[in-house]
Amino acid sequence: MKLRNLRWSVLLAGTAILAACQVSSIVSQRSPADPYKEDPTAVARGGAIFKSVCSGYCHQLTPTTSDALFLFDCTWKHGDTDQEIFQIITTGVPNTRMVGFADNLPEGYQDTWRIVAWLRHNSLCDDP
Amino acid sequence: MKLRGLVFLALAMAVLTEFAESAQDPGEEFELRQAPTHWLATDNKGAGAGPVTQEKLSASGNAKTSWLHYYGDYRGYRHSPIDDITPETVGNLEFAWGMAAGTVGPFETSPIVYDGIMYVTTSYNRLIAVDAGSGEVIWRYDYHNPEDLRICCGPNNRGVAIGGDLVVMGTLDAKLLAFNRLTGALVWETVITKYQRGFSVTGAPLIANGRVFIGLGGGEYGVRGFFDAYDLATGELLWRHYTIPTDGEDGVETWAGESYKIGGSPTWNTGTYDPETETIFWATGNPGPDWNGDNREGDNLYSDSLLAVDPKTGELKWYFQFTPHDIWDYDGNTQIILLDVEVNGEMIKAVGHADRNGYYYLINRVSGAYILAEPYVAEVNWATIDDAGRPVVRPGAIPTGTYSDRVCPGHAGGMNAAYTGAYSPITGLYYVNSIESCEIIEKGMAIFIEGSTYLGGSFQSVDAEAGTSYGNLVAIDAASGKVKWRHQEVNGLLSGVVSTQGGVLFTGTVDGRFLGLDAATGEVAWEKRVGSIVRGQPIVYEHEGASYVAIATGGSNGVEYFTGGFSSLPDNTYLFVFRLNKQ
Repeated sequence: MKLRNLRWSVLLAGTAILAACQVSSIVSQRSPADPYKEDPTAVARGGAIFKSVCSGYCHQLTPTTSDALFLFDCTWKHGDTDQEIFQIITTGVPNTRMVGFADNLPEGYQDTWRIVAWLRHNSLCDDP
Repeated sequence: MKLRGLVFLALAMAVLTEFAESAQDPGEEFELRQAPTHWLATDNKGAGAGPVTQEKLSASGNAKTSWLHYYGDYRGYRHSPIDDITPETVGNLEFAWGMAAGTVGPFETSPIVYDGIMYVTTSYNRLIAVDAGSGEVIWRYDYHNPEDLRICCGPNNRGVAIGGDLVVMGTLDAKLLAFNRLTGALVWETVITKYQRGFSVTGAPLIANGRVFIGLGGGEYGVRGFFDAYDLATGELLWRHYTIPTDGEDGVETWAGESYKIGGSPTWNTGTYDPETETIFWATGNPGPDWNGDNREGDNLYSDSLLAVDPKTGELKWYFQFTPHDIWDYDGNTQIILLDVEVNGEMIKAVGHADRNGYYYLINRVSGAYILAEPYVAEVNWATIDDAGRPVVRPGAIPTGTYSDRVCPGHAGGMNAAYTGAYSPITGLYYVNSIESCEIIEKGMAIFIEGSTYLGGSFQSVDAEAGTSYGNLVAIDAASGKVKWRHQEVNGLLSGVVSTQGGVLFTGTVDGRFLGLDAATGEVAWEKRVGSIVRGQPIVYEHEGASYVAIATGGSNGVEYFTGGFSSLPDNTYLFVFRLNKQ
């Protein structure tokens, strides 16, 4: 292969890789919680579960100083992505009162994602 | 790229990868030796008075130099016979010594004092024996709790019990540990139950006649509550008393369906022992889920009840239920005091009890018959009490799918079993700290997952959010239930109370003050800033001829959110000990 053809081939391959990366990036920005965030019924159920299980003695609905974190501000101690929030609900935080729920919520991980969706929906942070 | 360049790049990548991996795994780089967690005594302090006999345990209310029970005596009075601390002399108290607890979380302990040694527990189950006159550490044991505890309300511990030559502590992972009181050696260790189901021990055990009685928390986790008796010498289980009946037992019909299996009714506070009637009195907590009773229609026996139990067998003699079918989390296991009162010209052996639901009760402690109930909380609106002692609930106070009306008291009380009151036989008054903070409640979904919170709803502390909540130290005439006086504080009060024969009460505040009040009037006669929220149980004792007052301070877990007022004070956990200067 001549040098000029080789350059064109490299350029084309690079463009293809960049395009693939861009598509991949767009796909990866799509959170598993997004379908639930777009469904008002799912958001409401997430809220009902949160208020029935997670609030009360732990995560308050209004700002407070507690060992159970306030989850509606801009601070996420254990990771701020949907996936990280999902993970914390699922596995818990060792040496705290936060016990992992695994897939034990009534509708399994779907309910976990609904809680994530509700937390996002009710965030007081400008850029949740 | 030339071959030499590629090799260099590969080597560089390998080095960087290794560095990155080692940075993510500090365990190999920083392997630390385990810290010592069990220091034994190095001398023979405390050996002079001999074992803590049953005679001493029974007479403890008259002993100045010791404090042998969580409540000071079997009657539950928390009243010291020390008479030189009076409203006139209390100003002569001076700081004697102190000790940092070294842990975070509420420091709620009531120290035990015997033969010149003070036994102090901290949050997360550290047990420290110190010289009661100097604070010098004699021995200590730092229990290693697992990392997945089920503790609804903090890593609390409220103290040990002492008997013979043993001190006994319950743990957050539902064990009982017994130590030699002189050396600190671990003598026996008993697993009470599987903590992962939602159980924990935060209260102090009770010891009587060679038996250790202990209750457990778990009302927020859908457990089936119980309390136990163990052999003091061996740690062997003697009996278990379930606080919810099972199939075929009387009372199971008060639970719809199979809700009795996960109905809560915990026993997390310390009970009392009555040698006169040979009875153990233990109060029980809320049914679960806390704020949704749809799946547990019925009275839900024996939640929120006073139980009279045979100490030898654990059999129920009688019960009285304060809050049938509780849907407000009126966890009814606050302190029990044993007193003789005149009712209609007749002396009655009674139990006094300031319940979290806002009412003070008198119950006949021989028969269990209801005598009276009077509100001691300034605003009680969830129910009135009928002639049989049963609540008549206001419909607007019932949680529904939307928020209820403003309900008083809020779910933390009134009085709360996390702290103690004191009864003075001199004044006939029962002194309890009260949280004046109402809330609105929303019934939610009842979702039971073993080992997870089973609450069934939520609440909003509307008074606390509005800044209108506050606290009262309430003096209740124990015979009539009428309030004699109230001392008001800006925040709900979360500390215990102790009374002295000299007529002084001690208690602490959420905004970091330790108070000495005139027991007759409620006037503050002395106060010290201690720098942190006070959630401990004060005690009074005499050592080498001088009178001392001890109080555990510090350690908040945010509970003041719903009890009124935020504590922005440092979270220091520190034991203060004051000595009366006689000059």
